[in-house]
Amino acid sequence: MSGITKSFGGVTVLDDVTFSVRPGEVVALLGSNGAGKSTLMKILTGVYQRDAGRIAIDGDEVVMATPRQARAHGISFLPQEISIVPEMSVAENICLGAVPMRSTLGVRTVDDQAMRLRAADILGQLGFGHISPRRFAADLTVAERRIVEIARALAADASILVMDEPTASLTEQEAEMIFRIIRRLKEQHTSVVYISHYLKEVFVIADRIEILRDGRNAGSFVPGETTVASVVEAMLGAAAGDLFVAGQAPLARPEAILSADHLGLRNSLRDVSLTVGRGEIVGVFGLVGSGVEVLGRVIFGAEGGRHQGAMRFAGRPYAPSGPAAAKRTGIGFVSAERKKDGIIADLTVRENLVAPFQWRYGRGVFTSWQKETAQSVAWIKALGIRTRGPEQEMRTLSGGNQQKVCVARWLDPSVKMLILEEPTRGVDVGARREIYLQLAALARDGLGILVLSSDVEEVAGLSDRALVIDRGRIVGEFPRGTDPATLMAATTGEMAAPAIGGIAP
Amino acid sequence: MSASATPPNRTFGGLAHSRSAAGVLILLGFYIVLLVAFSFLTPFFMTLRNVLAISSNVAFIGLMAAAGTPLIIAGGLDLSVAAIAGLTGVLIAVMHAAGVPVWVAVLAAVLLAAAIGLANGALATGLKLNPLIVTLASMSIVSGSALILTGGLTKPLSIAGFNWIGAGRVFSIPVPAILMLLTYVVLAVLLRQTRFGRYVYAVGGSEETSRLIGLPVKPVQISLYVISAVSGAVAGTMLAAMLGAAAPNAASPHLLTVIAAIILGGTSLQGGRGSVWGTLVAVLILGTLNNGLTLLDVSSFWQDVTRGVVLILAVGVDQIRQRLQSR
Repeated sequence: MSGITKSFGGVTVLDDVTFSVRPGEVVALLGSNGAGKSTLMKILTGVYQRDAGRIAIDGDEVVMATPRQARAHGISFLPQEISIVPEMSVAENICLGAVPMRSTLGVRTVDDQAMRLRAADILGQLGFGHISPRRFAADLTVAERRIVEIARALAADASILVMDEPTASLTEQEAEMIFRIIRRLKEQHTSVVYISHYLKEVFVIADRIEILRDGRNAGSFVPGETTVASVVEAMLGAAAGDLFVAGQAPLARPEAILSADHLGLRNSLRDVSLTVGRGEIVGVFGLVGSGVEVLGRVIFGAEGGRHQGAMRFAGRPYAPSGPAAAKRTGIGFVSAERKKDGIIADLTVRENLVAPFQWRYGRGVFTSWQKETAQSVAWIKALGIRTRGPEQEMRTLSGGNQQKVCVARWLDPSVKMLILEEPTRGVDVGARREIYLQLAALARDGLGILVLSSDVEEVAGLSDRALVIDRGRIVGEFPRGTDPATLMAATTGEMAAPAIGGIAP
Repeated sequence: MSASATPPNRTFGGLAHSRSAAGVLILLGFYIVLLVAFSFLTPFFMTLRNVLAISSNVAFIGLMAAAGTPLIIAGGLDLSVAAIAGLTGVLIAVMHAAGVPVWVAVLAAVLLAAAIGLANGALATGLKLNPLIVTLASMSIVSGSALILTGGLTKPLSIAGFNWIGAGRVFSIPVPAILMLLTYVVLAVLLRQTRFGRYVYAVGGSEETSRLIGLPVKPVQISLYVISAVSGAVAGTMLAAMLGAAAPNAASPHLLTVIAAIILGGTSLQGGRGSVWGTLVAVLILGTLNNGLTLLDVSSFWQDVTRGVVLILAVGVDQIRQRLQSR
């Protein structure tokens, strides 16, 4: 692709961008949100049409007017949200694009056996022959679904795979499986375009790193010959510095705002005890399935009070009947699933910001646009939310800015503790850093902060105190300054420090 | 606090609310085209009498559509509303025949409707049953009960004071039209100017998010079912008063028009978007279409076809508009 230019309604999104990938090459495409990555890939895969420039495959200029044409040229796009049909078998999912048929007494029917063989063959090539083609997709883990999706692309004879955040909701071990597949694909001369926010993954898997910034090419790197810092600098346009706030002197153990004793929830949590102090950031690190995804919800009352154990908040017994009760007690909650249960996409930024404490910004039962706007503008400024204004629709904000809204709306005087699940999932590096700075500042103002995350660097860098959860139990507690590898090692599971852990700068 | 701090109303009941305003304006444009077309086609159309006739004919449909709009915005649905209207008329007639003062009968019918709405809401939100199924079932129960009460017959209901609600006029404007407009103004203010209204949009936009930020999701949804059912009772009262008789299935054929008007008015069946003003213009369009085609002597069978086509056109245009916006 060369000289690619694209604008939407007068705004230039891509300006003279060049991008290439050789057979069997893995190219990582990086850039902050809004840098033009997804637009470039949508042009490559026929979703959008370019305004100028040319696309050539094996030297021949090609037309990509529709996604179908792009697939015919062997280009396959794997979006961040996994798109498989849960009600179908693995074999049916893999052969969805080209279903093998046979003729019985002149009636054409689906050839189930041929389909299973083809699926088994492709899975075998990928090194995952143990996934049975007969299984239902609904029963697969997230990682296995991702593998099935890759197999489907190969079943349709893809020679270039564009993967958008393929490891987004995977654990590090599972991510390693995806890397194994990508290496196999390389051996078979299949090319991969890899879009990711996880820089260390990129350094492990990519042959070349291409950076976009503000719709232009902003650098090309070879992982072995560069550092994470210079890549981040190219992405952000200025020296980024450290992602985290420099380690403060550890506080004396602060007064506890929340204490939880022997929490349990069916098969997810067992005997979890923890405290969060005023002004303290407590991080809980756990891989997916460890209980890290329900712990915050149990404390916030979002699991409907079906848990065992007792809690105290601000010195009083605390047993929330639901999120509304938790909110009244003084707890805020930021969900990991921003699109699903974090934002209200159709409402404006202002309406999203004031929603939890609506009654503060009105007169009696009536709302007040003036009061809401004044508060919104203040929060937009305080957290550096990049928006055209409080009336912008929430859906049109980038992930990082949506996340800032989700944090800002809990900054009410009545809130004494904030629970955040995966606070920077799907957030670009720039906004990520801003969110970390904000959380540190809020803790300095006395807010208790509980972070639950499957991102080990996040927990290590952010927490005053880091807990590690594995199979529903707390398996370790570490002070500020503990390095990520130690936290990772505390999860029992497999290897102490996975291969990619060693690459971190 | 002080009078000087009273802010100017930025929007009147949210009519100028940017998102829905564009859709309502397009609809309004279409309505005007329709008016102009009909007034060229038939000289009877643009007479004051005919315009007032339209307004009084659409009033009971408009009332139910008005109350159904916030319910659908909040992610619910009420198919029982027209059946409740039928039952209400019948109940009033039966109670009146048994010697109950008519206004007491009206009050009792409204209370019964509220109870039905409460049951609808409790089943749909408390037990998390699909509102389509819940209200389909209650529609069947309610219209069945109305038939049982009357043995399927139409009951006369001719009481001077009572009939005024359906046939009376104030400054030559039909009383039903006035009641309908009042309902729209009240609901528009409720939706756009009150905390409750904001919760309606929030719950419809994302029920899970609303729950996790501690909003009263179920109370909001249940009260909308009650409002919808009560609107059915008021519409049924109005219809019986207008006709001077109560038929168990008087309103049932109009259920589709009620839902069609809400959707045509730009309210999303997925919830989260919509406005009562859009519904009002849609009610007027559908009513005018009926009236105009009748004046042009088009068979009422064709009118059903036309309504379907208009609905598909409207939804199609809205889809295209949304796709253009999301680009």
